Amino acid sequence: MAFLVHDARHLERPTRPIGGDERARAGRRLWRVDLLQAAAVASVAIAVALFLAEGGATRFGDPGAALTSLGIIAGLAATDLVLVMLLLAARVPLIERAVGHDAAMAFHGRLGKPVLYLLLAHGVLLLAGYAIADGIDVWAEAVAIWNLPDLPLAILGFALFLAVVVSSLVAVRRKFRYEVWHVIHLLVYVAVLAALPHQFSVGGLFVVGTWQWAYWLVITFGTFAAVIGWRVVAPLVASLRHGLVVERIDPVGDPRDGVVSVTMRGRRLAALRATGGQFFIWRFLSAGQWWQAHPYSLSAAPRGDRLRITVRALGDGSASLGGIRPGTRVALEGPYGIFSEASRSRRRLTLVAAGIGVTPIRSLLESATFRPGEATVVLRTQGPAEGWLLDEVRELCHQRGATLITVPGGRGRGWLTPSAERQGLHLLALAPAVADSDLYVCGPRGWAEGVISEARAAGLAPEQIHHERFDW
Amino acid sequence: MRTRALLLASAASAAAILGGWQLGDAATTSLTVGSTTTTDTSGTGGTSSSQSSDAAAPAGSSASASGAADGTYTGTSVSTRFGNVQVQVTISGGAITDVTALHLTDSDGRSIQISNRAAPMLRSEVLQAQSASVSMIGGATYTSAAYLQSLQAALDQAGF
Repeated sequence: MAFLVHDARHLERPTRPIGGDERARAGRRLWRVDLLQAAAVASVAIAVALFLAEGGATRFGDPGAALTSLGIIAGLAATDLVLVMLLLAARVPLIERAVGHDAAMAFHGRLGKPVLYLLLAHGVLLLAGYAIADGIDVWAEAVAIWNLPDLPLAILGFALFLAVVVSSLVAVRRKFRYEVWHVIHLLVYVAVLAALPHQFSVGGLFVVGTWQWAYWLVITFGTFAAVIGWRVVAPLVASLRHGLVVERIDPVGDPRDGVVSVTMRGRRLAALRATGGQFFIWRFLSAGQWWQAHPYSLSAAPRGDRLRITVRALGDGSASLGGIRPGTRVALEGPYGIFSEASRSRRRLTLVAAGIGVTPIRSLLESATFRPGEATVVLRTQGPAEGWLLDEVRELCHQRGATLITVPGGRGRGWLTPSAERQGLHLLALAPAVADSDLYVCGPRGWAEGVISEARAAGLAPEQIHHERFDW
Repeated sequence: MRTRALLLASAASAAAILGGWQLGDAATTSLTVGSTTTTDTSGTGGTSSSQSSDAAAPAGSSASASGAADGTYTGTSVSTRFGNVQVQVTISGGAITDVTALHLTDSDGRSIQISNRAAPMLRSEVLQAQSASVSMIGGATYTSAAYLQSLQAALDQAGF
């Protein structure tokens, strides 16, 4: 069953004086996405091209040389991709605003295994190439290369990289606490630094003054500067500048659910330029909490000097958030995400959330641009009239002229409830205009995938579908 | 990846790689070794024909004792991508009795490894052939070519 809590469909006017705003903006954003992707691929090509420029065909003169060259190319491609991975995780504003945090991190994750294979190929091909050139068997060569300078260090780097990738495989990752996994993940910086010396001492590739040397110098130092700048300096500066403190903590709904809204107060928050639907990475600076960082979406659009999040007891951190008090200082990193106006591509809006996924939907509803009748909100809730922040969402729908539908009950086989499924309800039935709207989906991963596949089937283009993940 | 991104990426990558390949080929059309630091030697390493420089004696290409004076002769320093190569040859009783490498390709760890392997092999080949006309060592093309070129210069000096 689904309940039409507030009906604003009749308010929609057939046309709007200024049309195409969202489409033009989406067009510009997609250009940036495409150019960034092309740049990532081209950077690998440039790395290979600069290698080929030093030697050309002579690099492939005999089998030994050819294998050695291929091995070097694999190593260069792997190094370049590692830097791309670091940049994707560096919270570079250009990337965050165009691609979005989720998509950037998903791409980052997909590169891990290919890089590992390239590094393996690098080792195997060079070993084979050297063995053929030296006219000895692979085992003797394997012993011989230990005498190369910095090679043990490079092998240590590879082992660390292997540990990072393995710890990030979904099956393995679940076994770790977030913080443990994160510490393992930070080893990647050690891995890159350990691998660096052999690129200069063994390969002799980066002869001072050559184009190749200049290129690697720029991308390596550029990447490390980006990581330090945007992951360390910028958050520190923002935290000090805005001096955020917890102002009040209010329980939401049934106290047994452990859902609370945390309102924080700070200075000059407008400078953050945060909007509804975005998230920050928060660190509550109290005794047992400071070492945990939590990504939480704003549950209300920033207003004046206040930011608000709404949090359910998920994971260790959220459960003990109840322990924080008014006055607790808060460090923040962000705003991140394009689950916001930044990714709009149509004038209509469809917002779909399940459970606590309502939080960014609630703040997005507040700050999104739409005219009465152009927005539909579908919420999976506990009861027809009870759900987290449901009162606030209902109030906003009244004010702004958005249609609100609740689908109460447990989850069925799809993304709806069993009773709604029996009635044959689906996305298109709940939000008839969905095909020509921006769809924002927030909730557990499997559930969200259900909504998204239905949206695809209904004919939505990828740039119309916006998804925020809550699990890490 | 969207089609447009794919096209952009392919075009940029193809341009970069083809450009790099062209540059590499252009730079190495006159392969083997780079310039020599002194004047008198001629062709690339490995050829045995030596032009008479100041020494009077006609240079034979192989064994028989020519008018070469006993002594130690130092070849030119030949520069390669992987470092300079210079050898010294000892002539005694009209025969090459020893070749010493004064400097070998050493720009990086791998080059040093290759030099250390190739030098003894080249030395014994030269002692056996009694000339710089010996085959290059596989996997050590640059080192061999430069080694033999420097050796040839030293032999020319000796009038060998």
